[in-house]
Amino acid sequence: MIINAITIDFSAINAFTTSVALVGYAIVFIVLLMLAFVYGLIPKVIALDTRRRMKKAGKCDDCEIADTEGDTTAAITMALYMHLNELHDEESNVITIRRVSKQYSPWSSKIYATNPYVRM
Amino acid sequence: MKKFLTVIGIIAIIATLSMAFPKTALTDSQSDTTQISQSAPVAADDGIDEVEAATGGLKKFFAYTGFANVTSGHLIMLVVGLFFIFLAIRYDYEPLLLIPIGVGILIGNIPFMLDAGLKLGIYESGSVMNYLYFGVTAGIYPPLIFLGIGAMTDFSSLISNPKLMLLGAAAQLGIFATFLGALILGFHPAEAGAIGIIGGADGPTAIFLSSKLANGINILPDGTTVKNLIGPIAIAAYSYMALVPVIQPPIMRLLITKKERQIKMKSPRAVSKLEKILFPIIGLIFTAFISPSSLPLLGMLFFGNLLKESGVTKRLADTARNALIDIVTIILGLTVGASTQADIFLTSESILIFVLGAASFMVATAGGLLFAKVMNLFLSDDNKINPLIGAAGVSAVPDSARVVHVEGLKSNPNNHLLMHAMAPNVSGVIGSAVAAGILLSYLL
Repeated sequence: MIINAITIDFSAINAFTTSVALVGYAIVFIVLLMLAFVYGLIPKVIALDTRRRMKKAGKCDDCEIADTEGDTTAAITMALYMHLNELHDEESNVITIRRVSKQYSPWSSKIYATNPYVRM
Repeated sequence: MKKFLTVIGIIAIIATLSMAFPKTALTDSQSDTTQISQSAPVAADDGIDEVEAATGGLKKFFAYTGFANVTSGHLIMLVVGLFFIFLAIRYDYEPLLLIPIGVGILIGNIPFMLDAGLKLGIYESGSVMNYLYFGVTAGIYPPLIFLGIGAMTDFSSLISNPKLMLLGAAAQLGIFATFLGALILGFHPAEAGAIGIIGGADGPTAIFLSSKLANGINILPDGTTVKNLIGPIAIAAYSYMALVPVIQPPIMRLLITKKERQIKMKSPRAVSKLEKILFPIIGLIFTAFISPSSLPLLGMLFFGNLLKESGVTKRLADTARNALIDIVTIILGLTVGASTQADIFLTSESILIFVLGAASFMVATAGGLLFAKVMNLFLSDDNKINPLIGAAGVSAVPDSARVVHVEGLKSNPNNHLLMHAMAPNVSGVIGSAVAAGILLSYLL
């Protein structure tokens, strides 16, 4: 039944439908090519602007803005995080165990943990 | 046995009650306007046997049940629905999609009396499912899904290596090749365009375009109405998206040599916040100017991404990528599944759509892979790309990127391609939305 329903008709491929397919595919390519070009340009413009601002601030005359790889950035960030997390306030580093003067406390008395026998 | 006795007991109580209160039963049957009630025997007043009236009530009840209305089509679709649920749970194939769709198929194919005016069917005006389905036919849900996708997607890998966008464009070959294939198989250009978009491997885009081009409403130049292909197209698109781990690897192994599969790519560079903010703004303006028809999809995609990257709308981004997209996915999956009502879905066209969809996916994958090989001819040794990532150009985010990663690891356990594959993957989303916009402007 399904095979009978299949009709192969090459006449449907005319100038209009071919142009839809070809022009459509070409436009998709062009749009993404142009986007790729623009996005490729952005980091260059940003680097140029950064260099100009640094030069203006007198920090650097001929600086090179390096593209750091994501892995490197992640490693540096992790190292900084670990370093900063290990910082504490200054401590004496003297650990002592002082014997308390009062040995007995009702809180440690076992007698309070037992149930009294109730005679009926 | 206990359950059986309970059911028999309930039926006996109903029968006894209807015998004890024949007047009530009569009033009920009179107030009913269905065909069945008219043909059912009227008891009591005319002195007709009370037992006959009770059995008449039972017959009426039975006529309304699924058992009386079931057809082979319903059973086939119920098996399909159960198969989807099985695939999702057993093999973890896109469970977030296949579970709602599978349950939707079950809901849409529970047999009931169609002409009883019960307002149950998804195609019956006034039914709850019909109201929910409006979001599909009017193309409301896909842009909302795109908003969520934009808010959850990190485009860093794409921004850091923009030339990989071309792989996303190359993989759209499947859309246009299938468009021509559908035309040859006798579909009208508008329907063929909607079928072709399955090759974009993007469910929301497929639903969006089919709701505009093959919605069963538009009038064709020859005076006939365009077919309603939303259900088959959506099911085909989502099924093949779920089957990406099955469809793509053989094509990858066929077209890419072992040596090429081992190519290690340079780590992507770190992307600044400014670049991430500029990405959606430039992308939105640029794509909308060239292909305004894709604005509902790409506008929302880039809007969602700006919510994420701006850093000042954290709450909105959180809602878009969590609560909102989850709600829309549930409703979309359920209604798309329910739209596969047997009498509308089980047609020869649906089978053709499934065949064309499979072909479309394969062509799209091959297009991406071969273009990656071509790109390598022009790239220096340091910047060579692993051609496997071309397969991720068919959207199916992030499944196809994951498949590429797994295939890469099989060739070299130290070669992690996921981040690289995400670039063509997300550019595939943009590419398929642009292609949908182009087809819409040509064929509507």
